[in-house]
Amino acid sequence: MILRCEICKKRRATVHLTDLVAEGEKRELHLCEECAEKKGVAIRAQETTVADILSAILSSSQLTKQRSQFAKVTCPACGVSYGDFLTSGRLGCGNDYNVFNKALTPFLEKVQGSSQHTGKVPSRVGEDVVKTNELIRLRQELRQAVEREEYEKAAEVRDRIQSLEREGYGDK
Amino acid sequence: MEINDLLENTGEWLKGQGEDADIVISSRARLARNLVQFPFISRATEPQKRRLEKLLRDTIITACADCNLSYFSLADASALDSRVLMERHLISRELAEAEGPRGVAISPDEAISVMVNEEDHLRMQVIHSGLDLKNTWQQTSAIDNALEAHLNYAFSSKLGYLTACPTNVGTGLRVSVMLHLPGMVITKQIEKAFEAVSKMNLAVRGLYGEGTQAQGDFYQISNQITLGKSEEELLESVSAVVPALVRYERMARRTLLTENRPTLEDRVFRSLGVLQNARIISSQEALLHLSSLRLGISLGLVSQLEPAVINELFILAQPAHLQKLEGRELEEHERDIARASFIRKRLGKD
Repeated sequence: MILRCEICKKRRATVHLTDLVAEGEKRELHLCEECAEKKGVAIRAQETTVADILSAILSSSQLTKQRSQFAKVTCPACGVSYGDFLTSGRLGCGNDYNVFNKALTPFLEKVQGSSQHTGKVPSRVGEDVVKTNELIRLRQELRQAVEREEYEKAAEVRDRIQSLEREGYGDK
Repeated sequence: MEINDLLENTGEWLKGQGEDADIVISSRARLARNLVQFPFISRATEPQKRRLEKLLRDTIITACADCNLSYFSLADASALDSRVLMERHLISRELAEAEGPRGVAISPDEAISVMVNEEDHLRMQVIHSGLDLKNTWQQTSAIDNALEAHLNYAFSSKLGYLTACPTNVGTGLRVSVMLHLPGMVITKQIEKAFEAVSKMNLAVRGLYGEGTQAQGDFYQISNQITLGKSEEELLESVSAVVPALVRYERMARRTLLTENRPTLEDRVFRSLGVLQNARIISSQEALLHLSSLRLGISLGLVSQLEPAVINELFILAQPAHLQKLEGRELEEHERDIARASFIRKRLGKD
């Protein structure tokens, strides 16, 4: 038997929704794509936005705090406010990372587990950044090696760290 | 190259090469990059987007001359052509459905695609058949280097490559492996496996990446985080789970064969029957049966069909491809008729 759309009663239902109407009570709805779209059901409903992530990882009090503290902070270059970012999940330009630094850092640490890049670097940025990032990465490696009690590896990493430090790539 | 030239075939990555090709479909690396002198796309004005498109298009064509890329401007393309590119995994749904100056550069074998004015100014991707993350990454990185020689990327030494969404910042790298896991779906082990995978900072997505449901038992495993790890570490984190998933899938298939062969055969041959005989078939139903049939072929239950034919059908039986084939726009019901007829032909019936 073909399941017909519950709105137009004509087309085949290919979008199946389960609504939680009340505590423990479910309601199922079967629609065709066209009617679902008209009803405003995003067929890509699975998409998680940054706003969703934010509300999931920050407690509601933290989120309220972020909103009240930073919502009006606005980037002079692109005009995006932190409030805009919280709603859309998109930043307006590279400068936003500086302007919203205080609010973004805890977010990055939660979502990304880090707020320090250790990967590829554009060649025009120069060797300084490459070496500094390598140093940061090696320090992480050293910590992991010690945690895993891989002392031979740790010694090797430590030597590389020391040689970079001797070249002057210390804390910057 | 024209979009119509693509239709007869599918990309190299769907040819089903490499070890474990019956389970591991493809590997993909994608980099997000932005230019420092422009706002991100969501804040860019129409003239800025136009300038960006021209600059990036010219740079891509000259800097990557060896790759022999063809550029398609999507502002001029029909919605149907954009959807064809999306169904072929050459552009994202977001780019297909966006408006304004934007486009994509594609290599003849469809291994490389460089999107312009998507969420970020540049999104470059390389897809290869089988488990081949290292080569996909190296090729993507080479394109990145070639472009970077001419462009000034938005980059911070602390946060790395700056992206419109902070979930991409840092390396801007998303690597993914597409797997076909019908055995684990049938034996209901898939959720457990994915729970384990998500604990390792990896994401599981459907056939068309972010925000899509698993269709036809295809799953993409990709890195969740992009910052704080080197590109190689990210590759390794995704590569590392693939052998285990392949092993579980093999075990599930073996269990199905040894413990319940008639049920499995029934499923496979019913699917073959439907695909060879249906006169009307929805996209969803087709994916379901193609998945069982693909499983049957890889287990040697069905011998008269080539795996590559089935791989291609997953793409060619999609709505936009069918409409291009018929040369006109089709209503859903007409599409279902066209799909059934197309599949019957490809499977050697009619």
